[in-house]
Amino acid sequence: MAEDDREWVVESIVGYLGSPEWVIPVTDFMENKCTVFDDEDENKLSYTEIHQQYKKLVEKLLENYMQEVGINEQQFLDACTSPFAKSKTLQIVFQPVLATDDFQMFRSLMVQKNMELQLQALRVIKERNGALPDCLTDGTDVMTELQQQEMRILQEVLKKSKEEYDEEMSMRMLLEEEVGSTSRSSSDKPVRESGEAQQETSASSQQNSTAKVNSKPVSKEETKATATGGRDGKNSAKGSSSSKLTTDCGSNGLEPRVLPAVRAPVKSSELPSTKEQSSSSQTAAEAWVEEARKEAGISKPYTELSLSQQEQLQQRAAYLRQQRDKLHALKKEQQKSKQSSTAEETPSNPTPAPATPEISVEEKKKLQKRKHLADKLKEEVIKK
Amino acid sequence: MGEAQKGLLSVIEKLKGTTEQEVRIVLLGLDNAGKTTLLKSLASEDVNTITPTQGFNIKSVASHGMKLNVWDIGGQRKIRPFWKKYLENTDLLIYVIDSADKKRFEETGLELSELIDEENLKGVPVLIFANKQDLATASPASEIAEGLNLHTYRDREWQIQACSAVSGEGVQDGMNWICNNIVNRKK
Repeated sequence: MAEDDREWVVESIVGYLGSPEWVIPVTDFMENKCTVFDDEDENKLSYTEIHQQYKKLVEKLLENYMQEVGINEQQFLDACTSPFAKSKTLQIVFQPVLATDDFQMFRSLMVQKNMELQLQALRVIKERNGALPDCLTDGTDVMTELQQQEMRILQEVLKKSKEEYDEEMSMRMLLEEEVGSTSRSSSDKPVRESGEAQQETSASSQQNSTAKVNSKPVSKEETKATATGGRDGKNSAKGSSSSKLTTDCGSNGLEPRVLPAVRAPVKSSELPSTKEQSSSSQTAAEAWVEEARKEAGISKPYTELSLSQQEQLQQRAAYLRQQRDKLHALKKEQQKSKQSSTAEETPSNPTPAPATPEISVEEKKKLQKRKHLADKLKEEVIKK
Repeated sequence: MGEAQKGLLSVIEKLKGTTEQEVRIVLLGLDNAGKTTLLKSLASEDVNTITPTQGFNIKSVASHGMKLNVWDIGGQRKIRPFWKKYLENTDLLIYVIDSADKKRFEETGLELSELIDEENLKGVPVLIFANKQDLATASPASEIAEGLNLHTYRDREWQIQACSAVSGEGVQDGMNWICNNIVNRKK
């Protein structure tokens, strides 16, 4: 009998706590007063005042309710403490009532309400303006800084692998060309140069494709691929303005008539590549320094630069030289292998090519792996 | 699980008996006495980054099978008028004194005697922490007790405990006294 009573009372109370007569005044109160509640460890003195007001409000509401339904305080309390009222879901319903006695609970309710309102406000601003104004996004949020850093790293990685991919592509083009005709020896110089430029300067392939177009007819597919790559390159340049690499890239992108296209005719007319490779003369070294200088966007002649700048340029020049030598060596090997077998032109071919001892099986495997990776990456990037 | 309403206090006491016993402790004293440091030391938190309290702090500490809800309210002169808003239903008062600040012994004595006269603290046990004993210039607890005329308190339990909230020395002794006292009182 008493149990039945209790159950009935509990149900009635829960019903009341979900009704507008309770929800509207309590929510109103919380929304009006929650703005001072932050999640600082220390409580403000004003919290206590607001808690007192809240107690009064709840007391009044519950008194009215009990009068209306015709139960006394004892019945109300019995119902609230009955096992029936202690289920998880009902505990949440009772929270606003319990908060009258428990300041900590009250505080957390208010802090939560404040946060909800703030998020709502942000959403409304976003919906209206399309984006948040600077004053709301400028705060140095540790999280976003980390995310930005992550993005930068990701872009750097993407760029790197794109370079590798481009390198691979130009290499393949070289191969195809050589297979196509042996009389092209004069015209493949620019291509080689453009390949170098790509790998050395991490220049955007926009510049690259210009060089290629200048030097030889490129198949449509390839142009498309490089064009997409070029756009990607530019995007990443925009995204991470802090890295030195990208600055180089950006400045190159501005003047697409960069070195290879201009320089190529002159050089190819005077020097076959093999000769140039063997000559480590003073003029060659100077040319490399000069190239590095231009690449860095420094307009002053080499001799007028500060010591540290000179040093930097020297390093860069050395690096360029090294890269060029590598490329030449590679090309030489490929030429040899070309002579022995034409099947080599498809790099996906797993034949270990026994006729060319210069390229070890291991190296080939590595090359294939790289190409596979680049292909996959390209696929992903283009899909996006 | 207790529903709480002012008119129903008698029943609430009973309801709370079903769960672990909760004790409301108010931590007061002049500014710079070390109340917040003491509170954090009780809660085993870092005591190196404490700034003057503008409002109040609350920590719940479990001790001797009881839940001690300790309220630390700022001690600056402009905040002191708010103290009396926090005294309702208080089971115990902790009063903290800077033992090295001799110039303000009189001031702190006045504040304490005002608290003792508060209606809401009638008969409420008081523990006085003679804090900052780690400082060379600190007065001993016995001297402070004399200066505060503690021996004239006849209407309640009291205790003075020398301590250093920074090092933690003496703090546990004080807490033991509190728990013993509360257990005796509630029985």
